[in-house]
Amino acid sequence: MRDLKTLARYPFLSEAKEYVKTLNVSVDELLLDLTYEKARIFGVERVENAVQKKNVGERRLLSEADYLAEILSYPVARMIVVCVDDAYFLRKYALGESVHAYLNLRNESADFLAAVGGDIGLSVKVDGDRLYVHFIDYIRYAPTRYRDWKMVNRPLKNGYIVVSRRDFARLLQECLRRRIVEELEERSCSETVQDAFPEELGRFRNMAAMQRKRFEAQPVGRISVTKLPPCMKDILASMQAGENIPHMGRFAFVAFLNALGVNSGEILKLFSTAPDYDEERTRYQVEHVTGRISSTKYAPPGCEKMRTYGLCPRDKMDDICKRVKNPVVYYRLKSKEMRKK
Amino acid sequence: MEDNSILFLKKRFARYYRNEKIELPERFGKREFAFMPFGAKMMRRHLAFSKRSSFISFIQRMTPAHAYYSSAFYQKPDAPTMDEKEWMGAELIFDLDLDHLKGAEGISYEEGLKLVKEEFRKLVEEFLLDDFGFSKNKLLLYFSGGRGYHCHVVDPKVFKLSSSERREIVDYITGADLDEETLFRKRVVEKTKVKGRMLPSVSRLEIPRPSEPGWRGRVGRGLIALLKEVTSEGNNIEHLKRYGINRKDIERLKKELTKERMLRIAEDGVIDQSPFIRRFFLKAAIQKAAISSMAGETDEPVTCDIKRLIRLPSSLHGKTGFKVCRIKIDELEGFEPLRDAIVFSDEKVEVDVAAPLKIRMMEESFNLRKGKQRVPEYLAVFLVARRMAKVI
Repeated sequence: MRDLKTLARYPFLSEAKEYVKTLNVSVDELLLDLTYEKARIFGVERVENAVQKKNVGERRLLSEADYLAEILSYPVARMIVVCVDDAYFLRKYALGESVHAYLNLRNESADFLAAVGGDIGLSVKVDGDRLYVHFIDYIRYAPTRYRDWKMVNRPLKNGYIVVSRRDFARLLQECLRRRIVEELEERSCSETVQDAFPEELGRFRNMAAMQRKRFEAQPVGRISVTKLPPCMKDILASMQAGENIPHMGRFAFVAFLNALGVNSGEILKLFSTAPDYDEERTRYQVEHVTGRISSTKYAPPGCEKMRTYGLCPRDKMDDICKRVKNPVVYYRLKSKEMRKK
Repeated sequence: MEDNSILFLKKRFARYYRNEKIELPERFGKREFAFMPFGAKMMRRHLAFSKRSSFISFIQRMTPAHAYYSSAFYQKPDAPTMDEKEWMGAELIFDLDLDHLKGAEGISYEEGLKLVKEEFRKLVEEFLLDDFGFSKNKLLLYFSGGRGYHCHVVDPKVFKLSSSERREIVDYITGADLDEETLFRKRVVEKTKVKGRMLPSVSRLEIPRPSEPGWRGRVGRGLIALLKEVTSEGNNIEHLKRYGINRKDIERLKKELTKERMLRIAEDGVIDQSPFIRRFFLKAAIQKAAISSMAGETDEPVTCDIKRLIRLPSSLHGKTGFKVCRIKIDELEGFEPLRDAIVFSDEKVEVDVAAPLKIRMMEESFNLRKGKQRVPEYLAVFLVARRMAKVI
């Protein structure tokens, strides 16, 4: 078995889970018994840090007991998140856990990384310090919206891409994030958790509701949501649900809003709700599209382009859709029609 | 199309569907089928068949002009909307088409098909087998019966790929978003001593070695081939136009690409810092190496569409009468669409040809004049289907 310190660092490993099993701690004990108070405090901190700092964070671990508390704080945090019962909150938490894991994994050996991969479902071949990832796994987990991550800029041969330890850690991050989201989406809240964390749950639900309110109630600048074409509604909805939007979707949305006269600041505000929001980078990207810092002001993609990129929800197409070739025209037409009524 | 032309085609197609064993795709019970009847404007969609025999009797009864099936498998393939169908997975499809081939304007159908076949070979061998590492028996190759070739990847590994993940594969094959900095790495060739420290004073960009995996090697090979073309034809680099380089740039290239600079690329493997020359070589090398005739670059990229309908193998193409036929990988080189995809006889039929036309089919050259004449049945079907002739 790996040492407790390692398991405390990577509490998502099945080995950590096995270890917890051998302790014979019941859920009730974990949630209510004084012995596990530290685990509960750490668990709350995990959630709090994930939502506020995008990283569940490091705690000062000085003794065996601390390591144990850290390991146990992981299931505690997960139970709390399930009970907050909010898709966006859940995603933020999953991101916080996976980013934390990434920062530590960056410094691990190739063999260790491969073992972690095997454990969470991302297989890899190791040859010395080189890691060979199958391209199917690569495109599933790599942030290909960034140019240097695009497969075209990676050495692909016989189905495998060689990646550095650091890059493989990044793939593990995404794999872990999705795994956590999938696992927690299936769980339901138990009453004991409600009873154990009444105050914290209230606070977290409030935070989630505030976020939700921030993006639902607020009209997009002067833009009315009811007039948005189905494609843009979908992108906005995904954004508000805290899902990651593919690059083309972000671009289309920004260019669309820009064409309707929404300024960069307002657009930026919308993006601030994305789970991997990075203010500086987003500002740069938005201002690039809107032409503030580049020589070209990009035209919003037309319906054909939207279809090409799979961004046109065909089953939601309505009559206006059939009459227009650009989402912007849809918006104007719909406004006109609504004025008539 | 007039009624007797439709009748003529329908009769021939009916005979084919009566006698031929139509091959059905794997897991056909989970696929959606769609048919375009002769003379109809609307496709009949959302059909499913649980038994082979019911499919056969359906196609024999209807005798469609075009037959399609979904590259996707569904829980309920005959449900009327996509949501209700419940998507389970889809093959990965590549569709290369003459209409998307750059620089193919104005060339004949036969010539065009040859060019597409060459691209298709490159796609299969260099990309799907070498780079992506698919095994040969997971690639099904077809002539589309019309203006191109299809490759179906039936490796279960690809079935669950999402649309944006498929897009990444398309971007790889078309060389989209290649990063100049990853291709040309900086190498310091001279250093100068400044205040006791060695600092780089001259750096050049290294071109990728031809043996490197992926696009680096591909660009490296492309560059060397290009260089040979440029040098072997002396100063005549006019033919570079075929790589989409415009006249102005060619003029400039003539001026800037000095002997000295060329030597440096060929012998030292470093490309000049002149951004113009670098861009030129990069652009041309990508043009040379990428697959450009991927259908749907302007409309819908077939590969990214996970709910696409695609022509049913061994059905007939209503606009040519050719069979959508399977090609074994090892036989691709010798495949001749205008011989191997023909299913009709050489029995003579009288047709009225609309305009003079030269074509080679079944290894026979036809030089048709305008007006009435007798031609083999396979040619008659082709001409009538393409509306280049009428039946009498």
